[in-house]
Amino acid sequence: MSDHPEVQFLHRQTRDRAIVLVIFGVAVLMPPMVGISLIPHKIAGIPVPLLYVFSIWICLIAVAFVLARRFGDTDPTVSSHDPAP
Amino acid sequence: MLSVNFLLAVCLGYVALLFAVAFIVDRRNRRGPIGWLQSPVIYTLSISVYCTSWTFYGAVGSAARSGLEFVTIYTGPTLVFIGWWWLLRKLVRIGRVHRVTSIADLISSRYGKSPSLAVLVTLIALIATTPYIALQLQSVTRSYQIIAGEADVVSTAFWVAAGMALFTVLFGTRNLDANERHHGVVAAIALEAIVKLVALIAVGVFATFGLSGGFDDVFANVSMEDIRGAGDIFGPRWATLTFLSAAAVICLPRQFQVTVVENIEERHLATASWLFPLYLFGMTLFIMPIAIVGLKMMPAGSNPDLFVLTLPLASQRDDLALLAFLGGFSSATSMVIVAAIAVSTMVSNHIVMPVAMRLLAANPAVSGDVRNLLLVSRRISIALILGLGFLYFWVSGGSTALAAIGLIAFVGVAQFLPSLVGGIFWRGATRVGAIAGLNVGFVFWAYTLFLPSFAGDFSGTAAFLAEGPWGIALLRPQALFGLTGLDPLVHAVIWSVGLNTLTFLVVSSLVTPGALERLQGALFVDVYRTTGGRPAGVQVGTAQSEDLFILAQRILGAEPARRLFDEMSRSQGRAGGLPHPTDDVIGRLERELAGSIGAASAHAMVTRIAGRQTVEITDLFDIADETQRLIETSRRLSEKSIEQERTAQQLRNVNERLRALDAHKDDFLSQVSHELRTPMTSVRSFSEILMTEKSLSEDERDRFVSIIHDESRRLTRLLDELLDISRLEAGASVVDVEPIDARQAIDAALAAVDSMTRNSEVDVTVDPDPSGLNIMANSDRLRQVLINVLSNAVKYNAAEEPSILVRTNVRGPVVHVDIIDNGGGVSRQDATVVFEKFARGSRASRDQGAGLGLPISRAIMRAMKGDLVIVFANDDTSYFRIILPLESRTEKPAG
Repeated sequence: MSDHPEVQFLHRQTRDRAIVLVIFGVAVLMPPMVGISLIPHKIAGIPVPLLYVFSIWICLIAVAFVLARRFGDTDPTVSSHDPAP
Repeated sequence: MLSVNFLLAVCLGYVALLFAVAFIVDRRNRRGPIGWLQSPVIYTLSISVYCTSWTFYGAVGSAARSGLEFVTIYTGPTLVFIGWWWLLRKLVRIGRVHRVTSIADLISSRYGKSPSLAVLVTLIALIATTPYIALQLQSVTRSYQIIAGEADVVSTAFWVAAGMALFTVLFGTRNLDANERHHGVVAAIALEAIVKLVALIAVGVFATFGLSGGFDDVFANVSMEDIRGAGDIFGPRWATLTFLSAAAVICLPRQFQVTVVENIEERHLATASWLFPLYLFGMTLFIMPIAIVGLKMMPAGSNPDLFVLTLPLASQRDDLALLAFLGGFSSATSMVIVAAIAVSTMVSNHIVMPVAMRLLAANPAVSGDVRNLLLVSRRISIALILGLGFLYFWVSGGSTALAAIGLIAFVGVAQFLPSLVGGIFWRGATRVGAIAGLNVGFVFWAYTLFLPSFAGDFSGTAAFLAEGPWGIALLRPQALFGLTGLDPLVHAVIWSVGLNTLTFLVVSSLVTPGALERLQGALFVDVYRTTGGRPAGVQVGTAQSEDLFILAQRILGAEPARRLFDEMSRSQGRAGGLPHPTDDVIGRLERELAGSIGAASAHAMVTRIAGRQTVEITDLFDIADETQRLIETSRRLSEKSIEQERTAQQLRNVNERLRALDAHKDDFLSQVSHELRTPMTSVRSFSEILMTEKSLSEDERDRFVSIIHDESRRLTRLLDELLDISRLEAGASVVDVEPIDARQAIDAALAAVDSMTRNSEVDVTVDPDPSGLNIMANSDRLRQVLINVLSNAVKYNAAEEPSILVRTNVRGPVVHVDIIDNGGGVSRQDATVVFEKFARGSRASRDQGAGLGLPISRAIMRAMKGDLVIVFANDDTSYFRIILPLESRTEKPAG
C-alpha cells in the first residue's frame, strides 16, 4: 500500500491493460474476426478453428494470470479486510 | 457390467463422504476459521458450480450436434472473469459493504430497498431455476439407468431429489446470516469440483489416447461440417451464446451466491480471474475428442448426451464408467445444492418474511421468534424448490435435449442484467425503470422461449407455434411481429433482453427517483469512494431503543443482539444500558439485520419501529462523491446555509474530540515510558556498579541488591496495574457482583489499612452503622477500592489531629459511601485530573505510587455499575464518594 505516484501509475497501467485484454478477447472471439479461422486446414493434426479458439483462450488466461499477480503487488484498493463494521 | 448393488454402494459411499466432509468442516470451523478453506483455490473451485451436468454430459452432446459451438458457454464466463476488475470486483465490494444476501436482495436494495422488486426477481429466479434443477435430476437418473439397466426413473429421481434436499437443509441452513457463509457446503462443493474435472479429463484422455492414437488420429477424418455444425457457426448465434453465458455467470442465483455472497476476501477474485477460466479450459479441452470418438465408435442413433458414460462402458472399462458416473453425479448435486440455498434464501427473505412481518405487525403481542420462523421457512423453501424441480421432471417426462433447458434458464436470468449492471454503474437508474424492464423481459422470455419449449408436450402447441395464437401470424412466438429468419434463441434474446434494456433505460430516464433510491444509487455506484458501512439512510423521528433491541433479539438471536448493542453503546461512550437511537445506530442495526433477512425487509422492520419515513435531500450530500458534494453544497448554500453551518460545526466538534483523544494517547504513552524508565534506570545503574566495583563492602552490596529488588517489584506492580486498567476499560475483565454486607466490606478494608492508620495516628469513625445494608458488589474488588481511597485519605491528610469519617447514606436504589477526612481533601484544580492515569495531586510525592490507583478504582466501580466521584462541600473542602447499587428489596437500616 503506497500513495507513491510511481505505484499509482503502475496500478493504473495494470488496470488499463486488464480492460484492453477483455476488449481484445471480445474482438478476436466474436464474429467477424473469429470467422477468419474457418479454413479446412490442420496444424499438428488439429483443425485450425479448434486450434484458433483454444490457443486464444489459453493466451487470455496466461495474460490474466500475469495481470492478477501484478494487481496483488500494486493494488491499493483491493482490501483484504472486511470493510463492513 | 457393473452390478446394480455395487453401483448403489459406491453412490451411497460417495454421498456419505460428502456428508462427512461437510459435517467435519462445519464443526471444525466453529472453533475458528480453517486456513485452507479460506484460500482462493477453494473459492475458485466453488465457482465451478457453473459446470453442471449440462457441461459434463451435455457439452459432448452439443459438440456432436453443433460442433465447436459449445465453447461459447465457457468463453463468455472467461471474458467476464478476466475483466473482473470492471464488474465482479464492484459486485463483490457492494455485496460486502451492504451485506447482500442474494441477487434479488442486491437489486431491491439498489432501487430503494423495494420489496416488490425483490419479489419479482425472486419469482423470475424460481421459474428459471426449476427446469434447470429438473435437468440435473434427469441427468442423474439417466446415467444411473445406463449403468444399472432399466430402473424406475421416477422413483430414482425422487430419491435423488430427497437426498439433495436433506443435504441442503442440513448444511445450508445452519445459520441465518447469509454473510456467515456455508463452510461445510463450500468444502463439499470444492471436492465435487475436483471429482468432475478429474473424471471428464480421464474419459477424454482415454478416448483420445486409449481408443484412438492421439489427437492426429482423432481429427484424421474430421470434416469441416463436424466443426462448424449445420449452420453458420461464427454467426449471430455464436455471439448471442457468448453474451448469454457471460450474463449467466453473473446473474444465475447460484453463481451470485458463490461468487459474491460466499466471497471471503476480495483478493480471491484476482486468483479466480485466471484460475476459473483455466478450470473451464480443462473441462472443455477433451469435449470435442470425446464427441468425435463417440460418433465414430458408438452405434448410429445412440444419444451423444451420454457419450461420456457410454464410451467407457462400451469399451469394457467399468472403473472409468464409474468415475464418469460420479463426475456427472457431482456436477448435478453441487448445482442443485447451491441453487437451492440461493433461491431458498430469496424466497424466505423476500416472500415469507414480508408476510410474517405483516402478521407480527397485526399482533405485536406475539413475541414470535423470527429467527426460528426464518430457518423453518428456509428449510421448507428448499424442499419446495427441489419438489418443483422433481415435479417439472416428472411432468415434462424428461424428453427435451439437455442443452435446450440450460439455455432457457440462461436467457431467463439474463433478464436481471440490465437492472443489475445499470444499477451499479448509472445513478439515474430507477426502481420503476427496473420493474418495467424486468416485467417486459420476463413476458417476452416466457412467450418466445419458455412457452415454445413445451412444444409437442401438449396438444395444440405445435399449431400455436407455427401459426400463432388464433392464427395471427404476427404473434408467432418464434417470429414475433414478423421478425423471421433468425435462430429461435437469438430471436428470443433480441426481444426479451433487448426490450428489457430499452424499457429500463427509457422509463428510468422519464421517472424521478425517490430520495431513498437516490441515496442507495449513490452508495452503490460510488461504492469505492464511500467508506464501508455508511448508514443506509437517515431518519427523522424518535426510535425506542428497547423496541429496536427486541427486534434485533428476534432476528439475530439473544446473545448476538446483546453483543451488538453493547458494542454500540460503548462506542457512544456509555458505560452500560442501551445506546441512544442515533442515525448511526439505526443504520448499523439495519445493515446487521439485512445480513439475515435482506435489505428490503430489514428496512421495513426498522422503519416501522424507528418511524423514519423521509430522507432529506441534504442527507444525500454525505455519501455523494467529493466533486458532486462541492457542487451540490454551493448550490444549496444560499437556501440552506444555517443547516450547512450546523453540519460543519458538528464535523469540527468531532474533529476537536479526535485531536484531544489523540493528544491524550500521546501523553499517556510518554507517561508510561517515563514511569517505566525511572525504575529501569536505577536497576541498570546499580547493577552496573555491582558488576564493575569489586571493592564494595558486603553491606553496600546488600543495600544495592535490595534497591534493585525493590525497583523491579515497583516495575512489576506498575505493569500489573496498567494491565488491570486496560482490561477494565476495555470491558475485557468481567467483575462478578453478588449481594454483600456493607459493614463487612468496610470493616475488611479498615482492617487492611489498620497498621497505616495506627502509624499516622489517624482516628477512624464509621457512622451511621451500615450493618444489614446489602450492596451489589464484588467483595475483593470493593475492598481494593476502599483501601485505595482510605490510604489516600491517610497519606495526604496534613491536619494536626488527623481523622476520617466513613459515612453511609441510602439514596434511592444506590448507596453512597463517603470517606471524609479533615485534611481538606482534593483541591478543585486537582479534582479535574486525579482520575487521569499517571496524574497525582499537587501534594503527592514521587514515591507514592504511579498515579494509577484512582483511575483503576473508578474503572472497577464502573464495572460494578457504581461510580467513584469527588464531592465538594460548601466550604470548598472535598471528599471521595463511592456509589454502589443496593440489592433490590433491601430494607433501609434502622438508625
